[in-house]
Amino acid sequence: MMSGTTAPTIERAPAMPLRASHRFDAAALGTLPFLLILGAWALLPYVVDYPAYMLPSIGTVVDYARESIRDGSLPRDIVASLGRLALGFVIGMGLAIPLGVAIALNRYVADLFRPVLSFLQAIAGIAWVPLTIIWFGMGNGSVIFVIANTIFFSALYNTVIGVQSIPLALTRAVRSHGGRGFALLANLILPGALVQILLGIRTSVAYGWRALVASEMIAGSNGLGYMTMEAVQWQRTEKIILGMIVIGVLWVLMDRLVFTTIERKTVARWGLLQR
Amino acid sequence: MTPQATLSLPLLRPRLRRRMGVTARGIAGVLLLLAVWQISVPLVGLGPYFYPAPSDVWLAFVDLVRKGILPVYLADSVMRYLVGLVAGAGLGIAFGVLIGMSRKASLALSPLFKFMFAIVEVAWIPIFVVWFGYGIETIVLALIYVVFFPVLYNTLLGVRTAPQILVNAVRSLGATRFQVLRLVILPAALPGIITGLRLGAGFAFRGLVFAEMVAAKTGIGYLIFEGAQAQQTSRTIVGMIVMGLLWLAIDQFYLRPIERATIQRWGLTVDAAERG
Repeated sequence: MMSGTTAPTIERAPAMPLRASHRFDAAALGTLPFLLILGAWALLPYVVDYPAYMLPSIGTVVDYARESIRDGSLPRDIVASLGRLALGFVIGMGLAIPLGVAIALNRYVADLFRPVLSFLQAIAGIAWVPLTIIWFGMGNGSVIFVIANTIFFSALYNTVIGVQSIPLALTRAVRSHGGRGFALLANLILPGALVQILLGIRTSVAYGWRALVASEMIAGSNGLGYMTMEAVQWQRTEKIILGMIVIGVLWVLMDRLVFTTIERKTVARWGLLQR
Repeated sequence: MTPQATLSLPLLRPRLRRRMGVTARGIAGVLLLLAVWQISVPLVGLGPYFYPAPSDVWLAFVDLVRKGILPVYLADSVMRYLVGLVAGAGLGIAFGVLIGMSRKASLALSPLFKFMFAIVEVAWIPIFVVWFGYGIETIVLALIYVVFFPVLYNTLLGVRTAPQILVNAVRSLGATRFQVLRLVILPAALPGIITGLRLGAGFAFRGLVFAEMVAAKTGIGYLIFEGAQAQQTSRTIVGMIVMGLLWLAIDQFYLRPIERATIQRWGLTVDAAERG
C-alpha cells in the first residue's frame, strides 16, 4: 500500500515547477487539431476541385449562422427541440420509475414482464417512427412518442437494477423494525434506487437525444433534426454544418451543466451514505 | 454416482424448478401481449393500415419470407452492422491505447474527440448523404462513428487502470514498449474494451436501423420505413419484430457470452440476477 502511493509522487515531483508552461502546452496541443481541420477546410477548394455545395466555405457557414440567429429561425428550432426532449423525458421517466419499482419488487410480475419488456426495449426508439407517423401524423406527436419511448425503456432498466442492488440485509433490517408497504418504499426502496436512476439519466438522455434528432429528421416539422435533413434536399450544406455544430454544442452544454451537476450530487450523496 | 453429484442434486432441483417457472411466466407474458393485441383489433376497429392484427403481421412475415425479401434484407443489415462494428471497435481500441499511453496524443486529441463525440452520429447522416449518396458508405460510416467513441473512452479507462507497478516491473525486466502493451496494458484494458463494445453495439444497432431508414434501399430499417410509406403497416411491424429478435439474439449469443468470458470471470461486475 505504502509503496503503491509513494512511487507515483517520486515520478511526479520533478514535473511540478513546469505546471504553468505545461498547461499552456496542453491548450496549444489541444487546439492544434481544430486549427488543422479549419485550415484544411479553408485550403481544400484550392487543392481539390469539387462542387461548392459539397462543402461550403467557413464564411458561408458563419454568415448563415448570423442570418439564422437574426431572423430567429435557429433559436426557434433549438427551443422546439429542447422542449420536446424535456417533455419526452418527463413522460418517459414518469412512467418508468413506478413500473420499474413494481417489477423489481415482485418476482412474479418481473418474470411475466421481463421477456416482453426486453423485447420492446430492443426495438425502442427510432424504429417506431414510421408507425407513429401513421398514428399521430408528422410533427410533435410522433417525435415526443419516440423520445418518451426511448427514455422509458432506458430508465426502466436503471430503476430495476437500482432496486435490485439494494442489499437484502437492509430490506430485512427495515422489515424487522416493522417497516412495510409505503414506509419501506419511501425509506429504503426509492432512496436506494435513486443513485442508479440518477446515474442512468445520462445514458437515457443520450439515447433520447439521438432519438430526438433522428425522429425530427424523418417525422419532424421543425427542430434541429428537421433543419439539417431538410437542407439536404436544397443542398444547403451550410445549414447542415451549422445544425451539426449546434447539436454538438448543445450536448456539451447539457453534459456540463446538467449531468455533471447531477452526478456530483449523487456521488456526494453516496459519500454521505457510506459514512 | 460420485459423492459430489449426490450432494449437488438437492441443491439443483429447486433452482431448476425456479428456472422453469421463470420461463413459463415469461412465455405467459408474451402470449398475454399477443392475446391483448389480437382481441383489441376488432374493438379498436381502425383497419389494418392503422392497427394491424398479429395474424396480419404473421401473413406479411410469411409473404416476405416466401418472396425471399426478408432473408436478403436481414443479411444486408447484419453485414453492414458487422463491418461498422468491427471497424469502429478497431479504431476505438487503437486510439484508446494511443491516448492512454502517450501524453502528447492525449493532450492533442482529447478536446477534438470530446467535441466530435457530442455531435451524435445521427447528425452526421445528412452530410454523409450529401457526400456519399444513399448507400452502404453512409451507413457504415455512421456505424463506425457511433461505435468508435464508447470503445475509445472505455479502452482509455482500462488502459489508465493498468497498475503502474506491473508496467514498471515488466519494463525493468527489459520489455519493449510493444511488450508492455501486449503483456500489461491490453489485458488490463480488456474489461473496459468489452464494456465499450457492448455500449457501442447497442447504440450502433439503433444507428443502423435509422441509417437504413434514411439512406438505404434494403435492410431491416428500410423494411420498417418502406412498409409504412407503402401503406403496408404489417410489413413495418414485421420489420420491428425482426429487429427486436435480432438484437436479442446478438445480445444473448454474442455480447453476453463475451462479457461472461472476460469481465465476470475476473469478478469485475456482478450480474443483477445473482443478487436477487
